[in-house]
Amino acid sequence: MSSASMTTPPATPARWERAVPVYGFPVVNGFFLFLLGMTLVAFVLTAYRELAGLGPVSGMNDAYGWGIWKTFNVMVLTALGSGAFAIGIAAWVFRRKRLHALMRMALLTSFLAYACGLLLLGIDAGRPWNFYWIVFPWKWNMHSPLAEVAICMSIYAMVPLAIENVPPVLERLWYFDSRLRPGVERFERKLRYFFPWIIAAAYLLPGMHQSSLGALMLLAGERVHPLWQSAWLPLLYLGAATFMSFGCVAGTTMLCCVVWKRAMDMEVLDEAARITSWLIFGWMGLRLLDITFRRALGTAFHFDRFAGVFWLEMLLIAIGGWMLRRSLHGHQTRTMFLGYVLSSLGGMIYRFSPTTLAFRPNPESLYFPTTIEVLVSLGFICMGIAGFLLIVKRFGILPAPLEEWHSMASYFRHRRPYIRWTGYFKHGYFGEDEQEATNSH
Amino acid sequence: MAITRRELFTSVAKVGVPAAVALTVGTKALQAEEIPVPSAAVGLLYDASICIGCKACVAACAEANDTPPDTRRDTLHQEPSDLNDLTRNIIKLYKPEDGSAFSYVKRQCMHCLDPACAAGCPFQALHKEPETGIVKWDEDKCIGCRYCTITCPYHVPRFQWRGYNPRVTKCELCSQRLEKGLKPGCTSVCPTGAVIFGPRTVLLEEAKERIKKNPGRYYQNRVYGEIDNGGTQSLYLSRVPFEKLGLPELGPESVPARTLRWQRRLYQYFALPALLYAGLVQVIRKSLNGYEEEAHEREKETGLRAQL
Repeated sequence: MSSASMTTPPATPARWERAVPVYGFPVVNGFFLFLLGMTLVAFVLTAYRELAGLGPVSGMNDAYGWGIWKTFNVMVLTALGSGAFAIGIAAWVFRRKRLHALMRMALLTSFLAYACGLLLLGIDAGRPWNFYWIVFPWKWNMHSPLAEVAICMSIYAMVPLAIENVPPVLERLWYFDSRLRPGVERFERKLRYFFPWIIAAAYLLPGMHQSSLGALMLLAGERVHPLWQSAWLPLLYLGAATFMSFGCVAGTTMLCCVVWKRAMDMEVLDEAARITSWLIFGWMGLRLLDITFRRALGTAFHFDRFAGVFWLEMLLIAIGGWMLRRSLHGHQTRTMFLGYVLSSLGGMIYRFSPTTLAFRPNPESLYFPTTIEVLVSLGFICMGIAGFLLIVKRFGILPAPLEEWHSMASYFRHRRPYIRWTGYFKHGYFGEDEQEATNSH
Repeated sequence: MAITRRELFTSVAKVGVPAAVALTVGTKALQAEEIPVPSAAVGLLYDASICIGCKACVAACAEANDTPPDTRRDTLHQEPSDLNDLTRNIIKLYKPEDGSAFSYVKRQCMHCLDPACAAGCPFQALHKEPETGIVKWDEDKCIGCRYCTITCPYHVPRFQWRGYNPRVTKCELCSQRLEKGLKPGCTSVCPTGAVIFGPRTVLLEEAKERIKKNPGRYYQNRVYGEIDNGGTQSLYLSRVPFEKLGLPELGPESVPARTLRWQRRLYQYFALPALLYAGLVQVIRKSLNGYEEEAHEREKETGLRAQL
């Protein structure tokens, strides 16, 4: 896509109406194989880790008991994957109706981020076989933030979030074979009956565990630098997750639109950017107030790494927020995308700091992830990306204007009539399928 | 927007008012928490001013706990660098560069009255024995998350970094020896009586007696652990500031009570989350109905099946 069409709106503004699979691009390409290769490497190294223990494969030590598997893949990436929570609340609770267009993207990215994070959490645990205690609620330590995170996160990813991701699967089954339709419709009706309870749980649980991720570091007390350690840490963690996940979902959608040449709906994107910018400014205000009232602001002007990290975070987030505001004048998608990237990057550093960059163990010690640690961490991220690429090409996830759906229909009818397994518009089994599709044109 | 916000607030309020009242009236946690001292609390009293640093207790500890000596630094002698997966007890030296008073310090679990490690432990693998107050580790419940190594303000629990079946190592006050009527390993060998074992109340009296007999000998004329961090069962006397010996000034309130106060109140009886959930279900049910109506209208217009 040329830069001109990226920065200026098209003559007739596109309106995202429908989630349409990405068609006309093969799933297996060089990049996809690279991702699979990285995943395979991570799996092999994981097997080695299970036999050798954590010491030989990671840079973790007695002072830094937690490495990037927990502090980056879980703490940071599930914040990026909170889109189902943040955008969902905006769409369903505050009824920002246009944001429904982004919901499927949000649900998918959330599910993948949580699934990969939870898998790595299991690998990071030293004695994972004892996880079975999770099914005996009376053995939980109800006041432990970590129990809250572990239990709440697994329940959330496995139940409400997974169920919220079912409609695209059902839709594909519905189009796949007309013999399945009565069953699918019956199932959908049942699902819709329970949906308010499921969706409400899908907002309550992340609200709880995303804040508890911040509460984890409360117990570390003085060892977390005063610029970060605060009674408001849970709320600040939750707030960072909201604007980061808006950035992740909207930014990913924009990137997909550029890569797969889809029209962008500036009405939806502007609304998302506006909400994100307010979330960012509100969050920064809260953080600065908190730091000022705790009289920790002075430490931000010391010449040390903590002050450096603090200013890096705040500047990235502030510039990101400012760029998002700016992009609202005249639909500058480029500025908007960069704004999302910068603010999310700042948020990622913020979520990473209390456990690692601003953590001051006593006695002083250093932690740097080993190659194996980084490869496993990257491998699980690659697995998530590979899953994303596969799913957007097989299921209706990415929002598009209505014409896109019709173009997809004609594409499969005329250019690839031999492809049956794409499901959406197939020939041969039932004439009536094609009849319906032709009539709707 | 105004309407939907009002709806949210009213529906939360409808369920919320009675629930919130019940929560505030019925909950004990809203009052200041008092940490109970276990009835038969036992502990250690370590007087750094009479310790000669012979490390007999380090060897005795390893022997009493059936742990192989840590010879990783020196292939001949037991020479642990710090508390670690083979070392529950260690003698360290604090020697300031300006030549002022030096001191040995014995480090082992403090057996806090309100232990931060147990407060954070997700499945109660680290727990405080109700009678003796010993903080113990249960290998059948530990998931190896290493949160205890982050939460402990004294940096005591250590994780075993090697092997497929890692353990968490910390002083458990030789409870297997106590059951047989023996004293903990470290106290049974100390030649100067720098570390003694006994009920916490007796030890506390003894420590105060020593302070009274030798005014000015001990730092601040106080016992570390009487009230620090909510009180601990390992008590310390020292000539040099406690902070120099790795015993931070944490104040009279325990770390969990101080830091998790709001966390504990918000989740008390799960009342507030349940209230929020009820409100959310109400609002979302309305949104869902509105959304479906619109979707069906669009379905008729476009001829394409509505997507949820």
